[in-house]
Formats: sequence, C-alpha cells, structure tokens
Amino acid sequence: MLQATDWADVKVVGIPRALLFYRFGVLWTTFFESIGRTVVVSDPTDKAIADEGDHLSVDECCLASKVFVGHVESLVGRCDAVFVPCYPTGEPRTGFCTKFQSATDMVRNTFRDQKLRVISCEVSNARKMKDVRRAFESMAQRMGVGPKDARAAFKAAWDAQRAHDDALADAQERTLRRIDEERKAAKAAAAAGEDARFPLGILVVAHPYITHDPYLSSAVIDSLTDMGATVVYADAMDHERSYKKSFDFSGTMPWLINRELIGAILLAQDRIDGIVLISAFPCGPDSMTDDAIMRCIQGTPILNLMIDAQSGTAGVETRVESFVDILRFQQKGGYVHG
Amino acid sequence: MAKPQALIEQVRSSVAVEFERRHAPTLIADRKAAKAARHKAKHHKYTKAAFFRYCYYDPAFKFFCEQVLDVDYLPLPEATRAYGEVGVQNSSDYVCTPFKHILGDFAEALDLGADILVQFGGPCRLGYYGELQESILRDMGYDFIMLNFAHGIQLGYLGWAKEVLKTVNPNVDVPHGVVKLKAVAKMIEHLDTLRDYYLANAGFEVERGVFDAAWVSAMDAMRTCLDERDINQAYREAMAAFRAIPLHKPADPIRIGVVGEMFTAIDGRSNLDLDQKLIRMGVEVHRMLNFTNRYLRYNEPNLRVGAKDYLTYDMGPTSTLTVAAARKYAAEGFDGVIHAKSAGCTPEIDCIPVLQKVSEDYHMPILYLTYDSQTSDTGLDTRLEAFYDMLAMKKEKNK
Repeated sequence: MLQATDWADVKVVGIPRALLFYRFGVLWTTFFESIGRTVVVSDPTDKAIADEGDHLSVDECCLASKVFVGHVESLVGRCDAVFVPCYPTGEPRTGFCTKFQSATDMVRNTFRDQKLRVISCEVSNARKMKDVRRAFESMAQRMGVGPKDARAAFKAAWDAQRAHDDALADAQERTLRRIDEERKAAKAAAAAGEDARFPLGILVVAHPYITHDPYLSSAVIDSLTDMGATVVYADAMDHERSYKKSFDFSGTMPWLINRELIGAILLAQDRIDGIVLISAFPCGPDSMTDDAIMRCIQGTPILNLMIDAQSGTAGVETRVESFVDILRFQQKGGYVHG
Repeated sequence: MAKPQALIEQVRSSVAVEFERRHAPTLIADRKAAKAARHKAKHHKYTKAAFFRYCYYDPAFKFFCEQVLDVDYLPLPEATRAYGEVGVQNSSDYVCTPFKHILGDFAEALDLGADILVQFGGPCRLGYYGELQESILRDMGYDFIMLNFAHGIQLGYLGWAKEVLKTVNPNVDVPHGVVKLKAVAKMIEHLDTLRDYYLANAGFEVERGVFDAAWVSAMDAMRTCLDERDINQAYREAMAAFRAIPLHKPADPIRIGVVGEMFTAIDGRSNLDLDQKLIRMGVEVHRMLNFTNRYLRYNEPNLRVGAKDYLTYDMGPTSTLTVAAARKYAAEGFDGVIHAKSAGCTPEIDCIPVLQKVSEDYHMPILYLTYDSQTSDTGLDTRLEAFYDMLAMKKEKNK
C-alpha cells in the first residue's frame, strides 16, 4: 500500500516552545530543517502567552500544560502546521506523564474550530534510537520525503541532540568541579585560620520545561544566583548515568525525566549543599516523586517549591532567601554537631 | 482591610532539613528488612492478604487470594472517615485521590491483621502507587509484604508471574493457578454483567429496595464460590433473581452514560455513591468502563476506530474508553453523560477538550465531576438534581 503523503504541502512547521521542546527541541528542529522545511519556534513565554493558554485550557491542567497551549495558540497563522508529537507511556520504566501522550489529540480538539493543522509522530521509547527513528521516518514519508533523505536527516538530528545534551552535561560537571575546588580551598583557608568563603552549590531539580523557561523559573534561579549560590541543573546532567542510577532509588518509577532527576540527585548529592525542587502546580509525576524525595533523601536540606500562575516573585524570593540562610548558617557551624 | 483570599499571595512550599542520614536514600526496603521479609516469605509466614476497597470486585479479589495464591483473604469492613484521614495525612497534598483512599485502606487492613497487601500497576501514576505506598507504610512502622503488580512487568508475562506470585507464596502451584485465574476472569465478567443489568434497571423497580437485596445476595453467593462451576451457578441464580423483579419502566426513560477514570467513575466510596444517586432518581445508567472492557477485552486500537474523528493516538490509560463510550452514548441518543474523575487525574483532564467536542457535535450535555477527599455529598446531590432536571426538560421539549 502506498503511504499517503497528505503532509507534503507543509512547508513551514511551527514548534511550540514548551514541554518536551526543552528536552528534544534540537532533535526536532534539526530534523525539520534537514528535510528542507522552515521551522518557526514560538517566542519565549510571556504573560500574554501564559494567560491565553490559561484561558484555552481546562482549569485543572498543570501550569506547564497551560503554557504549552498558549504557545500553540501563538503559532496559529504563523505556520502551515504545528508539530505536536506523541510520547506514549507504553514502556513501563521510560515513560512520560500521560500529558505528552495526549498532547496531540488535546491540541487537535482544542483548536478544531480554528482548523489548525497538526503534524505528529508516535515515539514509543524515547531512549531507543531505532524507535525514535521509525516514528520520524514515517512522519517524513507523509511529508513527501524519500526514505534516504529522511534517514540522513534523522541521523543529523539525533547527533545534534546528543551533542547538545553532552555539552550541557559537561557544563554541569564543570560547575560541580569548580564547587569542589572552591570548597577545598575554603577548607584549607579555614584550617589556616584565614577568613574562608565557602561556595554554595544548589542543585535545581525540575523538569527541563520548568528550569529553562525563564517565565516560570527565573524568580527562583535569579534569587539563588543573586544570593551568591552556584546553580547546577539536575535535568541537564548526564542522562544515561542518571537514568541507571535511579534504579537504586526506585524499581517501578515509570517516568523517564523523573528518573533522570532522581538519579542526578543521587549522583550529585555529596557535591552540593542544598537541593531546590521546583514543580508546576499540579504536576502529576512530581506529586509523587517530590514527596518520596523529601522523605528519603536526607543529609542535604531540600526546598520544595510549587509554582503556579498566581504565585508572584516576592513570595518565592522570601522562601529562597530563608532557605539559603539555613544553608549558610549550617556552613558556619550550624545547628547540630561542630 | 483584610485582603480577599484570592489576592493573598500563596506560594506552596516546604522545607526538609535533615543533616544526618537516618533514612536510606531509596524507596526500596533496606537490605536487612528485605532479607528478613524474603526469609519469612520463603517459609510462607505471610498468610493474610488484603486488597484495597474497590467497587464491587471484592468477591473476585477473595477468589484470587484463596484459590490462586492460596492465602487467607481479609475482607475490609465498611469504609470509615477515620482511616480516610490516615490516608490523607500520610500522602502528599496533591497526589490523586485514589492514592489517599488506598493508603487509608492499607493502614486499616494492617491494623486488622493483614500481612500481605496487593496493589495493581498501571500506565499512569497508578504504576508507582505500590512502591510509594509500601515505603510510606514502612516508615509508619508497619511490617508486611506487598504483592505489587507493577514489579516485573518488564519481564513479560511469565517473568511477571514468577516474580510477582512467588513473592507471596513460594510454593504457588502455577498450572493450578492458571486454571483458577481463568475462573477469576470469568467471575469478573459475570460481576460486570450483573452490574450492568442492575444499573440499567434498578431505577425502575416497583417495590423499593428489592434490587439492592438481590445485589447483596448475589455478592454473597459469589463470595462463597470455590471454582468456575460455582461461579457460573451463582451467576445464573443471581441473574434469574434480577430478571424476576417486577419493573415499571417507561418506554423512553432518561438514560445517562457514566464515563471517566477507572477508580472514581466506578467505585461507590470514591464517587459518593453516584450509581445509587442516579438510580434513585429513576435513571437508566450505562457504564462501559469496567474490568471486563478495560482489561479482559481491551483492544485499544480497535476501540479507537469508533472514535477516530476525535482521537489519533491512545491518549491515556482509560481515555480511549472514555471518549469511545461518550461518543457511542451520544450516537445512540442518550440524554446525557457524566464524566467522573478524581482531582488531578491528568489523562482524564486531557479528555475534557475532546469530550467538549463530542458534546458540541451531538448536542448532548455532559456533566463534569471532579472528586477530592473533601467533596461534599449535598453539593453533589444539588448538581445531579440540576443535571437531571435539565435533561428531563430537554426531553419534554423534544417530544
């Protein structure tokens, strides 16, 4: 049977700058560009986008999902079709929140009256290159791209994503190393009776679409850096190592990103001074994993922040400040032992 | 002047400051406890199993424990508020409501003497319930083993059976178990058929309470079954008793379809007896969602064909069933649909935009209900009555 090429006329592909774009965005954009399409990524989140998404979504959706819908809306009229992939939860240990599974149909139905075209593909296991390739190749076929070109485009895209991830992971590793060195120097200075200045390493643990979306997380990250803390991003650490490490924590946790986050905590815990968890209200996976982290990860103070469309920056800053104060006080001799 | 509640800036946050590591950094039971548990399990020391309260499937759970696993079954009494509170207090605030109910049930079961807890696995947050609840209950101080169906699913059917069933009973007789497992499936099918008949007709009984009495005795009969023959016998008798109940059913009664999330749309305790409330209003209730349709006969891709105007992919654990059922009810001219889910159930929230389109296309009203542990009974009554009145008026007008 000849495969339909009903998406062949899609020349400009719109990609919402939200949700998994922050995880697989390089792969997606490189792929579409390599098969000769123009890619329009929606603008960075602002209040207008967030409000529009809030207006179009069901009340109970999580903040990240509302922002996503706002981004899709901002692409209406700016492209031939919007790319919303489906990342199913079929694999029991490397799944995603069902949000990513239902995103395609949620968008299709929400924007049905605007006649928004949606192109998509179904990725069954995001960790397996061949699985992802199959999905993208069949999508390319529907876009009228020959199998050879599709494969070449996918290879370029996969490599670009990998290079991007590796660079990010290296950056985190360098930051961690710098913290280690500063701490060593400060210890030496303290031993010599000099005025020592200890570094303050904070591991920020949140889904990439929270951490790297300034509209959602800058209040937290900025006040951390303003107070002199060095921020390490758990979501950017080496995915492979983190994923494997996460099995020490939980045997049945079903979500890939949460696995990587918890693995990163276990890997970096001894090299940082505090952990800040950020989740978008009401995040499904985080509602369970954050509770587990707060209960089981000890030895490092943890601040759990939930951001919501209503929460302003002042309230967040106060919490971050008092948390940093706790850490500084501990560094100076602290509450317990000497 | 005091600010109204909405304007007060609310930041949900919490801090955990513990500089000493008292807790192993893992959800998995620590090595010593795990070893002791394995030893006890090896000698079949754990013998009293309990499920959480779930709909009307308790006879099937009992049969599964006694006939397949060969352990005693500990039935739970009527749910109480006190244990509900235990569940709420020990779970995180915004986890889905079934988690809290189930945690309360488990605490109660352990207090009553159970030492084996059984938890299901599933593709959404449900797949993580077991491990987290086990860890929470252990931290509360309980000793038990959990038969968690989410373990070992990556090993395929056989690996799963080996890993899971042997946790409870190392001497489990697998061939015998398979035969009995077939009987469990049969019982579930029968229970669902009985329930379907009950939902469609109990609202129209001539004498009040006859259907409920027949339902109770049918459940009792099912609870005493020992093999497939007993099950079929109990089913035949119960069905005969149901059919013998005199009805005064109008030619065109108000018909409502119930769709939604696996736990809340079916379980009476979670949805504050939605079934009963609808039946008392004299409504013919239909609900495609049950174990038979979700597990035993579930063929998602084919089911999706019926709703292909709305769905491209499988949207979540019960989403296809929700949308396909709603569309089917709409096409069959039902008066309305009720969508019931627990607060924060992501897959069902994502179904709402789709259901809104179904409702638009077929001009069929849909009532969306979200339950959390604070949902009030009277509030629900008011909404259901208003919905019923609206449907009745619409029906009158279209006559």
